[in-house]
Amino acid sequence: MGSVKVSQLTKEFSGVLALKNVSLDIKEGEFFALLGPSGCGKTTTMRCIAGFEQPTSGIIQLGETEVNHIPPNRRNCGMVFQSYALFPHMNVFDNVAYSLNIKQLNASNLVAKLPVYLRLLNRKLGNYPKYIEQKVMEILEYVELDQYAMRLTSELSGGQQQRVALARSLLMEPAVLLMDEPLSNLDQKLRHSMRNTIRRIQQDLGITTIFVTHDQEEAMSMADRVAVMDSGEVKQIGTPIELYSRPSTPFIANFVGTSNVLKGSVIGQENGFSIIKGKGFILKSTNHADQTEVNLIVRPENIKAFKPGTINEDKLTNIIDGTVLVSTYLGSIVRYDIKVDEYQLVVDTTFVPGEAILTEGEKVQLSIDPERVLII
Amino acid sequence: MKNWLSSFNGLSVVKILIYVFFGVFLLLPLISVFLVSFTSEPINLLGSIADPNILSSTIEKFKNVSFANYEKIFTNLTYLSAVKNSLGLAILVSLIVIVMCIPIAYGIARTKMPFKKTIAALCTIPLIVPTFISAYAIIIMFGRAGWVTYIYQSLGGEGMLLDPYSMAGIVLVQVFFFFPYALWPMVAAFKVSDISLEEASLNLGAKNWFTFIFVTFPLAIPGLISSALLIFTVSFSDFGTPIILAPKDLNLLVVEAYREIAGFFNWGGAAILTVIMVLVAAFFFWLQHLFTKGKNYGSVSGKPKQQKLNDTKWLTRTLSGYSLILVIVPLLAMLSIVLQSVATTWGSNPLPNGYTFAHYQTIFTSSLGNIQNSIILALGALVLSVVIATFVSYFVVRQNSSRLDFMTSIPLVVPGIAFGIALIQTFNTAPLHLTGTALLLIVAYTIRRLPYMVRSTMGTMRAIKQDIEEAAINLGATPLTAAITIIGPLMLPGIAAGSILVFITVIKETSISILLAPADWAPMSLAIFQNILRGEYYTAAAMSVVLVVIVLILQAVGNRISKNQL
Ligand SMILES: Nc1ncnc2c1ncn2[C@@H]1O[C@H](COP(=O)(O)OP(=O)(O)OP(=O)(O)O)[C@@H](O)[C@H]1O
Ligand SMILES: [Mg+2]
Repeated sequence: MGSVKVSQLTKEFSGVLALKNVSLDIKEGEFFALLGPSGCGKTTTMRCIAGFEQPTSGIIQLGETEVNHIPPNRRNCGMVFQSYALFPHMNVFDNVAYSLNIKQLNASNLVAKLPVYLRLLNRKLGNYPKYIEQKVMEILEYVELDQYAMRLTSELSGGQQQRVALARSLLMEPAVLLMDEPLSNLDQKLRHSMRNTIRRIQQDLGITTIFVTHDQEEAMSMADRVAVMDSGEVKQIGTPIELYSRPSTPFIANFVGTSNVLKGSVIGQENGFSIIKGKGFILKSTNHADQTEVNLIVRPENIKAFKPGTINEDKLTNIIDGTVLVSTYLGSIVRYDIKVDEYQLVVDTTFVPGEAILTEGEKVQLSIDPERVLII
Repeated sequence: MKNWLSSFNGLSVVKILIYVFFGVFLLLPLISVFLVSFTSEPINLLGSIADPNILSSTIEKFKNVSFANYEKIFTNLTYLSAVKNSLGLAILVSLIVIVMCIPIAYGIARTKMPFKKTIAALCTIPLIVPTFISAYAIIIMFGRAGWVTYIYQSLGGEGMLLDPYSMAGIVLVQVFFFFPYALWPMVAAFKVSDISLEEASLNLGAKNWFTFIFVTFPLAIPGLISSALLIFTVSFSDFGTPIILAPKDLNLLVVEAYREIAGFFNWGGAAILTVIMVLVAAFFFWLQHLFTKGKNYGSVSGKPKQQKLNDTKWLTRTLSGYSLILVIVPLLAMLSIVLQSVATTWGSNPLPNGYTFAHYQTIFTSSLGNIQNSIILALGALVLSVVIATFVSYFVVRQNSSRLDFMTSIPLVVPGIAFGIALIQTFNTAPLHLTGTALLLIVAYTIRRLPYMVRSTMGTMRAIKQDIEEAAINLGATPLTAAITIIGPLMLPGIAAGSILVFITVIKETSISILLAPADWAPMSLAIFQNILRGEYYTAAAMSVVLVVIVLILQAVGNRISKNQL
C-alpha cells in the first residue's frame, strides 16, 4: 500500500528539462531522502508524486495503482511544505482538523455538508463532532502542541509551526508522507532536535516517507536510503553507508561528505593490486577498473600523515610526499590541507593530546591503505 | 480523454459559467448593437439559435445590410453635430481641467503650501456626488433664481453670470466635478520629476520660474497628457450632466442616443451612436494606457526621494488661495442642495425664505421605496460581483487566464448609456426577455462595476501564496472546496473593500438606472432624475442629500476597513 514507484519520469517546463528519466523504487515504511544541490529537481519530483505537476512522460505508482491521472486531492499523499503553508486565518486546532473536515464533507449529503462548511468558514459557526476533537487532540499531544491548540499559527515559533504542519499531514493518515526541505527554515539547534522528532515519528508510525533536502548530513543521518540527484537526473541510489563508501561519481563523492579526487591512469596489475600513476603519486588499490584513465577517491580520514622517516615501510605500501599548507584544529581531529604536486588533499587525523601538530610548510609523508583507494 | 476528464472539476464548471455570463451579457449585446448599426432592425442572435423562424427572419434582415447609418454620421446634421459637440466638450473639459489643476498639483506636490490637508479633503467631495446631482446644484446656484445670479445682479450684472442650460454650464459642472480624477495623477507626475535635474538648473543660476517652465513642467508632461486623456474619457461618457443641462438645440452623443432609444425607438440610430461612443471611448482609453504604461508612479511612495519643497511665502500663499477658491466650488454646490432640501421656498434670494424638514418627511413616507430599491439593487449587484470577481481573480492569478482578465476590463471602455442601449436591444424579446426586469438591472450594474471589484480582489489574491491552496488540496479538498474554505476567507478584506466601492458606485449610477430601471424598481437616482424633470426640486434635493449621506457613510466604513488592513 505505502510503496512508491516512479518509472522513467520526465518533466519539461516550457522547453527546459527539469527531470530526465527519474526512476525510484521506494519500499513500504522506508525513509527515503532525495538529496541534491539547488535546482536539481527535487521539488519537481515531489510535486509530480503529489500530483501538483503532470509528468511530461513516465509513470508514478502508489502501491499497486498508477496515479498519473488521479488528481492531487485524491492521492492521499501528505505533504509538508517548505514554508509549512499553514492556513493563516485558522488556529492550530482548525489547521490540523482540516483533512477530517474535508473527509466528513465528502462523506455527507448536501444538507449535512452545511455545518461542516460553516465551521470551516468560521469556528464560531459550528462545533466539531467528538471523534474529530479527540483525534486532533491526540495528534497534537503526540507532537507536544496540545497546549497551543487555540493559538493562531502566526503566534508560534518556527519549530512549532513545523510540527503543526506535520500533525496536519499525519492526521489524514497518508499512504506516503512527502516533506520538502522541512528543516531549512529552522536554526541549527532546532534542526537537530527536529531531525530526531521526525525520525522518531516516522519509525513509530512506519509511514513511507520521502524527504527532500540539500543537506547531506541531514539525508545521511535520517534516511534508510538516499537518492542523489543532479541536474534533473538520479545519479545514485543507496544506503548512506553505500553512498559514502562506494560513491559512483566524483560529484557524489564530494556531495556526500568530503573527498579527495585524484586523476590517474592504470599502469599495471601486481599481486591483485591495480597500480595507478598520476601527477605526484603512484598508488596501489585493491579495486579494479576496466578503463585506464580513472578517478581515485580517497576520504580524508583514510589518509594518515607522518613526519618524514617515521613510517614503518613494511606495512604501509602507499606513500606520497607532500607539504602542509594549512592545519586546522577541530577538537577531536586535526584537518590538514596538504599540497601534493598540483593537488591539495584534505587529511583528517585523530588528535592525540601530547602529540605535536604538523605546522605549515612542513614536509610530510602520507600513507593510504590500498583498500581505501576507490577507483571510479 | 481520461486526462481531460480528470482535470474537469467543479472549478472548470465555474469558469465556464463565468464565460457564459460575460458572453451573454457583455459580448452578445455589444455584437448585436454593432450588427444593428448595419441592419437598423433589432437582431435576435439568441433567438436565432433557439428558433428556426427567428433565424430566417434574422437572415432576411441581414439581406438589408447597408452602410446607411454610417453615411448618416456625415449627412445627418443632428448626428454630425452630436459627434462634433461631444468631442468638443470632452476636449474643452480636459484642457481646462489640466490647466486649472497644474498650480494645485504643483502646490500639493512641491511646495509647503498652507491648508494642504483641507484642500485634499475638499477634493474628495466631487467624487462622491453623482453628476446629475452636481448639475442640478449648478442650476440652484447659477439658474435664473440662483443665489450666484442674485449676487451677480446686485453687483450690477445683467441677466445671468452663466446660463446653466448651455454648453458652458455642462463644462462648468464637468470641470469642477471631474478634476480630482486628474489631480492625483498630476500630483504624482510632479513628484516623480527628476529633482536632480532641477537642482542642476538652479545651481547653474537659473531662476525658480525659469526652472519650472523649462525643467519641471516638461518632465511632468507625460503625466499631464495621460490625465487629460482620462478626463476626456470620463467627460465623453458622462450622461448625468448633459441629460439635465443640455438645451434642446445642443446635440450631444449621449443625449442623442438616449433620445433615439427612449423617445423614438430608432434602433439603427441608437446603434450607430452607440458604436461611435464605444469606439471613441475605447480609442482614448487605449491612448491613455499607452501613456501610463511603464511609468510606475508607485515607486514614489516606495522609495521617497529627497524632495526639496518650495517654501517661498508669496508663492505658497497664492497657490493655496487659488486652490481653496477652486476646490470650494463643489462644496458650495453641495451646500446649496442641502439648503434647498430644507427650504420652504427659495426664490431669487441668497438664502431660502424659511426652513422645514417637510421634504425629508415626504421622501421618507412616499419615496422610501426608492431608497429600498437602491439598496436591494446595489446589494444584488454586490453579491453577484463578489462571487464573479473572486473567481475571476482566482483564474487570472492562479491559472494565468489573460482572456478573462481582458474580458473583465472591457466594461471600462463602454460608456454606461452605450451599454444600456446594447442591453435593451438584446434582451427585449424571447428567449431571454429581460428588459424591464430588476434582474437585467442588477446584471448591468454588476458588469459595469466589475472591473473595480476585480482589481480589488486580484490584489488580495496575489498576496495569497499558492502553497497554502496546494496544502488544502493535498489534504483532500477539491480545488473548489479549497477555494471556498481557504482562499475565500483569506480574500475577505479585499472583497470587503471592493464591495463597498461597488455598492457606492451602483447607488450613484445614473445612465443605466434611467435607461433600464422598470417603474416598480426605480432606484433613488432615477427618482431624483424624475423629480427634477417634474420640477419637484425640493424633494429632489432632499433625496440627493440622503443619497450622498449614504455614500459618505459607506465611504467612511470602507476607509476604516482598508486602514485596518494596513
Ligand atoms: N513552474 C516551473 N516553470 C519553469 N521551470 C521550473 C518550474 N518549476 C521548476 N522549474 C525548474 O526546474 C528545475 C528544478 O526545480 P526544482 O524546484 O525541482 O529544484 P529543487 O531541486 O527543488 O531546488 P531547491 O533546492 O532550490 O528547492 C529548476 O531549474 C527550475 O528552474
Ligand atoms: Mg525545492
